[in-house]
Amino acid sequence: MFKQIKDLAGGEFYLIASLLIFMVFFIMVGVYLIKMNKAHIAEMSNLPINEPQTADGYEEV
Amino acid sequence: MQLEKFTYDNKIVRDFGIATIVWGIIGMLVGLLVATQLFSPSMNLGNQYTTFGRIRPLHTNAVIFAFVGNAIFMGVYYSLQRLLKARMFSNALSKIHFWGWQLIIVSAVITLPLGITSSHEYAELEWPIDIAITLIWVVFGINMFGTIIKRRERHLYVAIWFYIATFVTIAVLHIVNSFQLPISFLKSYYVFAGVQDALVQWWYGHNAVAFFLTTPYLGMMYYFLPKMANRPVYSYKLSILHFWSLIFIYIWAGPHHLLYTSLPGWAQSLGVAFSIMLIAPSWGGMINGLLTLRGAWDKVREDVTLKFMVVALTAYGMATFEGPMLSLKQINGVAHFTDWIVAHVHVGALGWNGFLTFGVLYWLIPRIYKTELFSKKLASFHFWIGTLGILFYAIPMYWAGFTQGLMWKEFTDEGLLKYANFLTTTLQIIPMHILRSIGGALYLIGAIAMTYNLAKTMLKGKLVANEAAEAMPLEKEITNEDPADKKWHRILERKPMKFMVISMIVILIGGMVEMMPTFTIESNVPTIASVKPYSPLELEGRDLYIKEGCVNCHSQTIRPFRSETERYGEYSKAGEFVYDHPFLWGSKRTGPDLHRIGGKYSNAWHYNHMLDPTSMSPGSIMPSYPWLITQKLDISMTEAKIRAMQTLGVPYRENFDAVAQAKLKEQAETIAADLKQNNIDVKSDREIIALIAYLQRMGTDIKANKTTIPSNQ
Repeated sequence: MFKQIKDLAGGEFYLIASLLIFMVFFIMVGVYLIKMNKAHIAEMSNLPINEPQTADGYEEV
Repeated sequence: MQLEKFTYDNKIVRDFGIATIVWGIIGMLVGLLVATQLFSPSMNLGNQYTTFGRIRPLHTNAVIFAFVGNAIFMGVYYSLQRLLKARMFSNALSKIHFWGWQLIIVSAVITLPLGITSSHEYAELEWPIDIAITLIWVVFGINMFGTIIKRRERHLYVAIWFYIATFVTIAVLHIVNSFQLPISFLKSYYVFAGVQDALVQWWYGHNAVAFFLTTPYLGMMYYFLPKMANRPVYSYKLSILHFWSLIFIYIWAGPHHLLYTSLPGWAQSLGVAFSIMLIAPSWGGMINGLLTLRGAWDKVREDVTLKFMVVALTAYGMATFEGPMLSLKQINGVAHFTDWIVAHVHVGALGWNGFLTFGVLYWLIPRIYKTELFSKKLASFHFWIGTLGILFYAIPMYWAGFTQGLMWKEFTDEGLLKYANFLTTTLQIIPMHILRSIGGALYLIGAIAMTYNLAKTMLKGKLVANEAAEAMPLEKEITNEDPADKKWHRILERKPMKFMVISMIVILIGGMVEMMPTFTIESNVPTIASVKPYSPLELEGRDLYIKEGCVNCHSQTIRPFRSETERYGEYSKAGEFVYDHPFLWGSKRTGPDLHRIGGKYSNAWHYNHMLDPTSMSPGSIMPSYPWLITQKLDISMTEAKIRAMQTLGVPYRENFDAVAQAKLKEQAETIAADLKQNNIDVKSDREIIALIAYLQRMGTDIKANKTTIPSNQ
């Protein structure tokens, strides 16, 4: 009855290949993150709060 | 370079905001009605347009696409303009987008109660509306990318990546899940059948949650939370890692909606593995949001918008932890088809989507109206009654889910099912359903309080339709470029089109690996010789089953558990569904599974049961369907339906359409004659006859099979 779950009949390939694809992708993003420039990070994360205020500054309600 | 003066379009933000509130109230009201129907059948209101099967999709469509949809557009149109320091690309496109989307919603409100449905969950709308959705989505896309192109800020903030991923993925999902063959203006059949159709639908269903209910809201969270707390996001690096991992992994997890079905085992395992991995990026987002408030928790005490955001993020964390847990096969075996799933989605919908929307509305409306919120006390009341509503909703539903799931599986010492009558398990959880509707009512009262509060705020202030702003234009040529600027992500942050293409590739990888083998390798869906196409009358009956939305309460897939094979019969095989356009496996068992209903009861039993379910099953909460007995079966499209099925590869013999009507009438006469023998006088041309024909056919084909069917067929 539970054969369909235990016996992947070659399906292991899909599983392992998928995990490998993700690992490669994840490592690529990881390496990029480690190499990132701090000043740039600060600039980017401040984008929403450094918006130019309108002339009368009513955003500060 | 001279400072450029321009304006932000606040009117479109306001319009989407009002639409969010109005549709939210309507969607929740319908939700409350369907909730009461589950303990009081009289709430089906005795007519065909308001039965549970027809208006449950109305509730889900209204809250997902009308309430959340409008809230997304409100949030995107507000934040996009400010993050890019530019007005929306085109006022006309903004207007077309707004009115087009409202028209689509209105068309859903009209067609769903009429029983015009494709039956795919959260994609029920028929093909002309699907086309309209595509067109309006493209309008939204052009407007968004147009704004990105004329921006005055070089880099795209993380919120915008989420918006881009949302746009691209929803487009792909919607198009693939709408491959339909129209047979008339408001009727079509899905091109895929059975297992393949199920895979496409749940690839869509799962990722609609990901890219309609999650990514745009994460984008909004990354913009509005720092604004509300007045501090930058906790970790920008985490947001990058979280973004790419989330969009990569999410797309693979769809098959966890089909565990223990006849979907190939490897696809199920793939779904489970990626679902577990999904905890990491989901929690990355939650942690990033909550830690943004580090050192600002004193603000949370005073600021109601932040309170809403904190509960929203917590609910997101809970729902995204629970999702992977539910995809573990052992847990899924108990939880699937029960109220547990309903509890799970409502923690996400009421907590994450609802509360984040309320937080943003309370923050944004006073700002674009240049005034203070009418009543902070009332907003605080909304927060508490809403939170209470979520608890009163979720806890009874978890309780009901556990109870019913375990009751279905319980055996006596003699090895018999302890609760052999399905109805016993339904009646057991009725008190929980009553409590749940109280929870829903509390939540709705909160939303009504918000409506009053925001309406008063709007009346107090005056809309700044065009808000003045100024910014430096973007330099065309970047001189003295920092070498770090050449790094790929820095480039991506400046090139929206490349960004879009790469996100599309990332999401397509998962979809392809999942679906291609099931579609191309024949052995993945083995055929069974004794499985034959439906007769014309059964086909018409099946369409009535779809029209009445039976699939909303009854599954058609028996899992390979002893508790299920004992209760329902032989477990379902992939090969049994090859002519099912669309598949009707369902996702919830409010009533029992129907895959082996064929031949289980007499025609007379079905007739009486449809006329008054309590006559056959005392205490049943199923609505009665008297109109099936009075309404004449529409056979004007029978030939066209047969031809459409032939086009889709169903092996009816050549020119079968020409004799379809005669065959249909012949079978109908037989059923009517059988009913007559049981003292039931009904004309053979009534809808009930077709429905009985379909119910009696269901799951019977493999009984004619002389050879043993190996597993997974």
